[in-house]
Amino acid sequence: MTPDLTCYGDDIAALVDLAGDFDLRSPVDTRAWYVREWEAMGEALGFAHHLAAELASRRNAGDWSQATAEAGVSAFAAWLRQRNRAAQRVGVTDKHAAAQASVIAQMIDIGRARGELWRVTVDPTTLETGACYEDESGGWSRAFYPDTAPGYFGDGWSGPPPRAESRCGWQTPLVLHFGTFPWVYSSRLDAAGPGLRWSSESAAPAVDAFRVMASTLQPEVNLRQDARQVAAIYRHFRSQTAPLLARVPVFRPGQIRVGQLYRQSGYLRVHQGSLEVAALAGPRGHLPATAYNHIVRRFAAFFAVRRATVRALTTWAPEMARMVASSTDPCLRAQVEGVARAG
Amino acid sequence: MSRFWITLGTVAGVAGVGGALLYSRRASAASSALTPGPAQVPPAPALELAPLPKSSEVDGDLVTNWGDTPVDLRPLFMIMQTVSKIAGSARVFAVIAYRESRFVSSAHNGNATGEEDERDSSRAAYANNKDRNPPLRYGQQAAEFGSGGLFGLLAPYFLWTGVPEVGKKAPLLNAPPELMFQPRAAAFGAVVYMQRLLKAHRVDDIADIKAGWANPGLLGSGRGSPKYHDVRANFLGDAMTLGIDLTDRATVPEKLDASAWPGVLSVFSALVGALPKELA
Repeated sequence: MTPDLTCYGDDIAALVDLAGDFDLRSPVDTRAWYVREWEAMGEALGFAHHLAAELASRRNAGDWSQATAEAGVSAFAAWLRQRNRAAQRVGVTDKHAAAQASVIAQMIDIGRARGELWRVTVDPTTLETGACYEDESGGWSRAFYPDTAPGYFGDGWSGPPPRAESRCGWQTPLVLHFGTFPWVYSSRLDAAGPGLRWSSESAAPAVDAFRVMASTLQPEVNLRQDARQVAAIYRHFRSQTAPLLARVPVFRPGQIRVGQLYRQSGYLRVHQGSLEVAALAGPRGHLPATAYNHIVRRFAAFFAVRRATVRALTTWAPEMARMVASSTDPCLRAQVEGVARAG
Repeated sequence: MSRFWITLGTVAGVAGVGGALLYSRRASAASSALTPGPAQVPPAPALELAPLPKSSEVDGDLVTNWGDTPVDLRPLFMIMQTVSKIAGSARVFAVIAYRESRFVSSAHNGNATGEEDERDSSRAAYANNKDRNPPLRYGQQAAEFGSGGLFGLLAPYFLWTGVPEVGKKAPLLNAPPELMFQPRAAAFGAVVYMQRLLKAHRVDDIADIKAGWANPGLLGSGRGSPKYHDVRANFLGDAMTLGIDLTDRATVPEKLDASAWPGVLSVFSALVGALPKELA
């Protein structure tokens, strides 16, 4: 039985189809789906060669959801190191990176406890570092961009204001969208993804954040995430991008122009050209085409894993079924009950 | 990434109030692809070459010393280097493409106000060379085309690519100039041009390649002229802006060497494949 995801909204069924379906009980099916998803991510972000090497070293793996995740994180970390070394530049200072790593670790704990890792919102003044770091001038700066203006993932987070006074000037919550890493901010989407700058000589908080994004493809972590949060963020993203996409022609073979941006099967493509130099612009700011595709794919893949996991739950991982029974997500409980009834 | 994002005004029906489609480039986009020729020349058939190569299809380092070169174009530049056997040329091609097209494959210099000089150049290129080169099926269109594609090639010269090396066997003689918008075809024109510069001209360093790209005369009687120095300075500035270190000897040798060039037809086969028989 295929679980019904319409509890999260009528648009989720179409979204999940963008990522394709697979059966977690079939190792061949699972391997093909996960390898394809990871290869697409590696190609888009630039770590495809590193991923190929990591996947090759795991060719005899048993659990492909786990093996591809390990390969993906290792490949990303190696690629990021090489990228920084080659460019002879790092994104942030060691102190900045240390503060970011500390904040991310605490936000992961908070997100896990809430069942909301996709987007974590915290009062920065409650964190150990206050989400501040000592900058090169000796003053205190914020460890992350205060991303609280209306954007592609939400209408803004103006409050509640921090309960304590911030030594680095936080006046709003700290909001990070781990689920769409490296595009972690709602209102600042650039071509490379701002999360890729989170690394220094001695620390790479970008890898920690990447690992969170990757974990949403892991069946158990995926189940622990409240899908209602993901659906709500997707719906906001969709509503903000729909008017921009309406102006982009649909790819129709025989009626195409070289170098033009098209919509095709839910994604953007530039026919015979670089997707990286194309972008959409709207009232919520600049949206690179590469970012659009990555973000849509993250939402689609999340719900594809959710569907596959729920379908297989009772026979593939009964211990997860017991975990679901206590979930606060009524949609998830209903889906699992429906699958169990269907046998 | 530091890029220039310029509204693309020529894509009718795409740009609109409250939102626009953007491209980071300086030139106008192609207004049409494969436009019909004059009455005596049949319209060119729709052409579809193989898509851009993916990372998984090429060997070589796609991370080190690429600066802000788009990730999805690096495999093309790398395959150009591999196929041409001109070691270290991939990053040089990237810097040239940045200047000539801002990495937009449909860049077209010649169809917008203020670009008449490009059309003048292509007209002159055609008029001055048509009697000593094999005929071009779409010669008149090429003359009126200007320049374009990823590497900013002048249309007549693009279509005559390979003539000095293989004469009437040059593969693009029957092709329309719009073929240069397809990255693999543009890449073919670019690698042939680079090997010719390296083999037939005095090229003292990497920046000389760009001087020759602008005008081979700058490598001869024009060497040392203000234009020669301007082109070189722009090229070196482009490399810095893009973030490619031309002194990184691990990825870019001090001088490029085309002595291992495998031949025009071999390179065409590897980069482009075969054209439809009506154009071959």
